[in-house]
Amino acid sequence: MSNPAQASALPHSPGTVGKRGFVDRLAEASGWNKVAVALGCVALALIYGPLVWLGVMSFSAEPLSGKPYPLTFAHYSLLFANDKWHTPFVKSVLLGLAVAVACMVIGTLLARALVRLKRPGSVLFLALLPLFVPGLTIGAALFIFFRMTLGLRLGMWSLFIGHMVWAFPFALLLILIVTIRFDVRLIQAAQDLGAKPLRCFLDIELPLLMPGISGAGIFSFLLSFNELLRSTFLRGNETTMPVYNWAMASAQQSQVPIVFSLSTLILAVTLPVMGALFFMLFARKGN
Amino acid sequence: MATATALSSPRPWRLPGTATQWFTGWFLVAWIGVVVLPLLIISAFSFFSMRQYQIVYDPTLSTWVSLAETGRWVVVLRTIRFAVTVTFLEILVAFPFALWLAKGCRSPAVRACVITLLTIPFFIDASSRIIVWRSILGTNGVINNLLVGSGLVDKPLTWLLYSDFSVSFGMFGSYFPTAVFPIFLTLSLIDDDLVKASSGLGASRLQTLRYIILPLAMPGIVGGVVFTFVPLMAAWIEPQLLGGGQVNLLGQSIQSALTNLNYPIAAALSTVVIGVLVLLLVVLIVSLRGRFSMASLFQSLDR
Repeated sequence: MSNPAQASALPHSPGTVGKRGFVDRLAEASGWNKVAVALGCVALALIYGPLVWLGVMSFSAEPLSGKPYPLTFAHYSLLFANDKWHTPFVKSVLLGLAVAVACMVIGTLLARALVRLKRPGSVLFLALLPLFVPGLTIGAALFIFFRMTLGLRLGMWSLFIGHMVWAFPFALLLILIVTIRFDVRLIQAAQDLGAKPLRCFLDIELPLLMPGISGAGIFSFLLSFNELLRSTFLRGNETTMPVYNWAMASAQQSQVPIVFSLSTLILAVTLPVMGALFFMLFARKGN
Repeated sequence: MATATALSSPRPWRLPGTATQWFTGWFLVAWIGVVVLPLLIISAFSFFSMRQYQIVYDPTLSTWVSLAETGRWVVVLRTIRFAVTVTFLEILVAFPFALWLAKGCRSPAVRACVITLLTIPFFIDASSRIIVWRSILGTNGVINNLLVGSGLVDKPLTWLLYSDFSVSFGMFGSYFPTAVFPIFLTLSLIDDDLVKASSGLGASRLQTLRYIILPLAMPGIVGGVVFTFVPLMAAWIEPQLLGGGQVNLLGQSIQSALTNLNYPIAAALSTVVIGVLVLLLVVLIVSLRGRFSMASLFQSLDR
């Protein structure tokens, strides 16, 4: 963390005039910013502590006992001997890829359209609306709509739509950031020089938008790959990776250690990738 | 900066390739079909009834009446109590933290790091993250082992897991980032000169906070409440895994009603959540009105 002396929440000028009440003096005396940072770090620890513990317990002989020792690789060898999770894993990867591609294409088209509209507000609000709707609610609503109203059989297609509704707003936001930054004079210059619209798009616009589009693709893949709430309603007879994990975790049975190992492996791959990606994204903006 | 004007300025040139209006129109039709229409339909379903596993499309209030008579409204009240408590605690911790992140933190690297840490949880499988709490809070979990081992308590504490406490505890971690982000966004939009002017004119730090920062941050605080309270009303993973059957909330009722093919009840309970959502969204839109345009919001993302 940064130097606490620099972390003052508000600029403070020592020479201010006027009477100070007791509360004011209290507010200035006792480093509120340190309290704020400490509490925030506790909240972050509540998120990341369990992840670390998950990794530790995946090596423990009795994962649910709370004792990390004695250490063992038994769960990992069980995991690799067990092939029940292969199908859900492959299904989740394929579904994630489909959602990512769809989000990238539709997101790019809509983001380009949004910055060119005179009043993008209401379209943007509608596009971002699913961010506000709880997963369980939209899952139940889509289930009743597809299953009861339309009488369709649920399967991968309904999972795909459910995941699109979840991932697309995030993808759109990321692509919007780059389309808003895009300088339209580049297109105008290219047109003046005689470029056709498609050439303009492929050679000038697309390469410049690519960081946002590829970011959106990765985000949508991860959102779809880890989606549970909507999937439980829309899956029909399909089982995705989070649904499999959920079934194992909530059954309170001997499969739990395998879930610990599997989740640890998935986290060991995705956490560094996500960390690096997000850090580059936010650090670049910080400058 | 081109950002501010990019959204409003008229464009003299034709679009390359795709026709903007045409695509936007088709997108809206499809999107309304998979987002707005299902939400309207599930609300409408609460006014129908079931007979022999078939929906009777005949408007009736019987579902809502039975909701009141069978005592399911207690579940609604209990869920509201959980959601209010956790949301209050979230905002209490999130506001000072967001203030530090937006204005106090001087190092861009530290800020990028913290924002990264706040973003990652959106992308993590929730059930594996929550289930670990069992081995931490359980009667033979880490905390009880430490407490008993150090002699602070004689017997393991049983209220740590499968209780109101563990459910709220799990919820707090899950929804902290969603509470911080909207507040952080609005706070980083506040011009530093306003704060300097306020203290230059003799306002104490508390006065600056009360009369300058809080009013300007209000849309963000409302946004934080929306993003925390609404999903908490439909929280399902935390009560299911950490409640151990002791804590029955709205999310579980909706889920069990759906698996029991009791669609009108599930629809009515979902409608309660949608009602809360619409109410809070209206408050959010009113508090945003005339304050921020889309362009200014993206300027803050740009920083």
